[in-house]
Amino acid sequence: MGVISTDSPDSAAAATARPVMARVPLARTVVFGAVALLLFLLVVLPFGWVLNNSFHDDLTGAWTLGNYARIFQSADLLEPLFNSLLLAVATAVIAVGIGVPLAWLVSRTDLPFRRTIRVLTLTAFVTPSFIGATGWILLAAPNSGWLNALWRSLAGAEAGPLLNIYSMTGAIFICGIYTVPYSFTMVSSALDEMAVELEDAAATLGSGTLRTMLSITIPLVTPAVIASFILSFIQGLTLFGVPAFLLTPTGIPVVTTKLAEFYQLFPPEIYMAAAYCMPLLLVTAMLFWMRRRILGRKQFVTISGKSRAGRRIALGAARWPAFGAALLLPLVSVFLPYAALLLVSLTRAWGQGLSWENLSLHWYWWALFGNSETHTAIVNSLLFSTLAATMCVMLGTVVAYIVERRMVFGASLFGAVATVPIIIPGIVMSVGFFAAYTRAPLNLYGTPLLLVAAFAATFLPIAYAHGGSILKGIGPELERAARSLGAGEGRTFLSITIPLMGGGLLSGWFLVFIPIIRELSVAVFLITPKTNVMTTLIYNAKDGGNYEAVCAMSVLLLLITLALVAAAGPLTRLTTVRRTSRKSGRKTAPAEGVLPT
Amino acid sequence: MSGIRIKNLRKSFGTYTALHGIDLQVPNGTLLALLGPSGCGKSTTLQLLAGFEAPTEGEIWADDVLLSSARGVLPPEKRGISLVFQNYAVWPHKTVAENVAFGLAIRRLPKAEIAERLDRTLRTVRLEALRDRYPSELSGGQQQRVALARALAVEPRILLLDEPLSNLDAHLREEMRFEIRQVHDLLGLTTVYVTHDQSEALVTADRIAVMKSGHLQQLGSPEDIFERPSNAFVATFIGANNELAGTSEGNGAIRVGSHVLTAPDRSGAAHGGTVSLCVRPSQVRLFGAEEKGLPAEGCNVLSGTVRRSAYLGEYRDVLVDLGGGRTLRAFIPPAQSFAPGSVVTALLPIGSCQILGPAA
Repeated sequence: MGVISTDSPDSAAAATARPVMARVPLARTVVFGAVALLLFLLVVLPFGWVLNNSFHDDLTGAWTLGNYARIFQSADLLEPLFNSLLLAVATAVIAVGIGVPLAWLVSRTDLPFRRTIRVLTLTAFVTPSFIGATGWILLAAPNSGWLNALWRSLAGAEAGPLLNIYSMTGAIFICGIYTVPYSFTMVSSALDEMAVELEDAAATLGSGTLRTMLSITIPLVTPAVIASFILSFIQGLTLFGVPAFLLTPTGIPVVTTKLAEFYQLFPPEIYMAAAYCMPLLLVTAMLFWMRRRILGRKQFVTISGKSRAGRRIALGAARWPAFGAALLLPLVSVFLPYAALLLVSLTRAWGQGLSWENLSLHWYWWALFGNSETHTAIVNSLLFSTLAATMCVMLGTVVAYIVERRMVFGASLFGAVATVPIIIPGIVMSVGFFAAYTRAPLNLYGTPLLLVAAFAATFLPIAYAHGGSILKGIGPELERAARSLGAGEGRTFLSITIPLMGGGLLSGWFLVFIPIIRELSVAVFLITPKTNVMTTLIYNAKDGGNYEAVCAMSVLLLLITLALVAAAGPLTRLTTVRRTSRKSGRKTAPAEGVLPT
Repeated sequence: MSGIRIKNLRKSFGTYTALHGIDLQVPNGTLLALLGPSGCGKSTTLQLLAGFEAPTEGEIWADDVLLSSARGVLPPEKRGISLVFQNYAVWPHKTVAENVAFGLAIRRLPKAEIAERLDRTLRTVRLEALRDRYPSELSGGQQQRVALARALAVEPRILLLDEPLSNLDAHLREEMRFEIRQVHDLLGLTTVYVTHDQSEALVTADRIAVMKSGHLQQLGSPEDIFERPSNAFVATFIGANNELAGTSEGNGAIRVGSHVLTAPDRSGAAHGGTVSLCVRPSQVRLFGAEEKGLPAEGCNVLSGTVRRSAYLGEYRDVLVDLGGGRTLRAFIPPAQSFAPGSVVTALLPIGSCQILGPAA
């Protein structure tokens, strides 16, 4: 079978100039071409346009370095940079200062309700920080905030407000508490993965608990601590929603809100905005480079819930006080803001106070069915997130496969391009997609595709890295076996590789879907009334002062997100390919029944 | 079924050359063992044969079909060559039957024929009872048979086996050797069997190709390889061997230290060239130093001191120190016994000795 060439051995010598049978198959060319094109459209082109635009003048369109010069000459543009750095440093300090001790308590000690603390911290993780900020506006706005009202009722009406969330301190507080889960997760997984034997070895050499912790445990998790500091710093630097909610009303600008301001000017200074992205990009690129140096190739931290089987440090009398301290973070990041949002969303009119007559599901009904704007946003959010996550996982997986199996010369370049968006803050991504796709020949402004593509591009690095780590666990012989039996590259990928990736692909999908549905900054310059999503709707509606509706939408978004997080685990397990027969060997199925026809 | 012809096959990875121009013929229906230590290039040869790598130079032919050359490679799926992997590579998400039928489904055969060939192949490797099991429910030997069945079901024209038994325990390995040979006798497939285990090669193969550092050392029948090794490396790699390094004293003579020994000379080395005297330990006879009337006729005679002696039931393994850093192993009848330190005379029958050159 399979006689392809009819060259006889004798004619072979004469035919040396003739190419042998292998030509690059058409399908292969099409797939690689499509992947290269998609990567170009999703990553290279938007970034290229931002770079290009940054060298042009907004009024004349001529080439200029003026935009960059303006950044350093105008106090107006320097101040946001300093504010952003302040916010970033403070966020990182809070995240590490709270996250590391919390991780140690949960991973290493006999703290009561460790699992609950873990779950609550994870809940804070998936809570969009701008929704947290909305909750805290209800709690700690200088005049109307409940905590301030409570304070006044205790200290007397003439006492000033206790808390003011509309301040740099307030923004730092919110950014900090919603970034703690990052450092917590990274450090606790480092502690969980650390072999107990390393500590036991020190103990057998006569080292006490404290000494062991100082000279073994802490040095071993130092890379994770530093890496989480860097990640938290980047969070503080690139968050858009929190400063937009808390700092813009009081006139404190940061880089991300300043970028939005350029778009709101008339005429909008879009080229100036492009140049203003560069300091942000420079800092994030540098920080990610540092993080990579520290963590080696391990770029993404897996969130695993398994607890350590080894001995735990007994806290003794400090057990319950420690539990109280550990509950502080969930209290301020989950319980209080969730309660505030839920209560307001359930009142017909918040101004009328809490009473049975005032309680209603009116605003949920309104958001879901009564109002076409909110209805559209909910549908859009679900639809765009589904499409974007699917596209992102498909592209990320194919790129990972090409890179992992070195299928073409220069495959690693594909991987590098797919990783680039990790250094691009969401707001810069928004600027880039606006620049690239609101002009001919690819004018996508106002189409769902623009948002779907921007979301997919932003989270491509996660899908790519996740796909790569699954593929590393699948030996290439499993694929080669299929090839040698007659399956082509495409068939092998579909019938061997994909089923073997199985549940891992679905978990990758959730890993991308969840951040997409709660993403605000990427969408902020790209939406139109028709393509509004829940996050941008909440962002825009907040200024209208209709807090009941904003809260109902926020609660809906939280519910969807939390439901997905809860469903992700079981669904992933369900779709993981069955690898044991239920009835071993007893019953013999007819041959046709088991054949992959 | 096809014969294989490999012409001047070279493969380089960057600056490292894994294969330095191999010429090899595998006649139709024979089982060839590619034998050599790790890093000798045998696995690279197999990857080239299967089509997963492209040669840097040279050609691979299956009968009159050019499979690989530096200018192009027929993709693995178009070669009709089945490969059995060292770690089996049985797909964990498919049952035994699904694994075996995969290649048949790819070929879009009629259902009835798929069922018939599936049954036949499963019978050949005695897996009928396990057809609906998943690989995780099988032992290593059973998985190995699934891999073999999967490769055979498609009726390839060439079968490649990559160290197929190295992951099995010793007992099973011995059994599977014969099983593989049996399947080969039954189907008569042209087979290339890569192994580093010389006894595996001797048991299963019609012909053995011994390789080292990317060079082919010898190609021949098991008897050729064992009895008439082409160089000292082959002699030492196959079976137990004594290798006494020295210089050639002209045809049929070798200088080892102060001794000049004689033996059939197959080294082709000129006077003064580097050669070795090779002799199997089983051919060496030992006598006490004081024994008289030794049957020394037609023997090289050496003397030395016993350094250690191990009793192995069927024979004694004695190590004799010849002085000058040279040692000689002898397998002697268990009835004979020498204490360490005793002085002995060793007789090396000239007919069992060979003068051989170093590895290519």
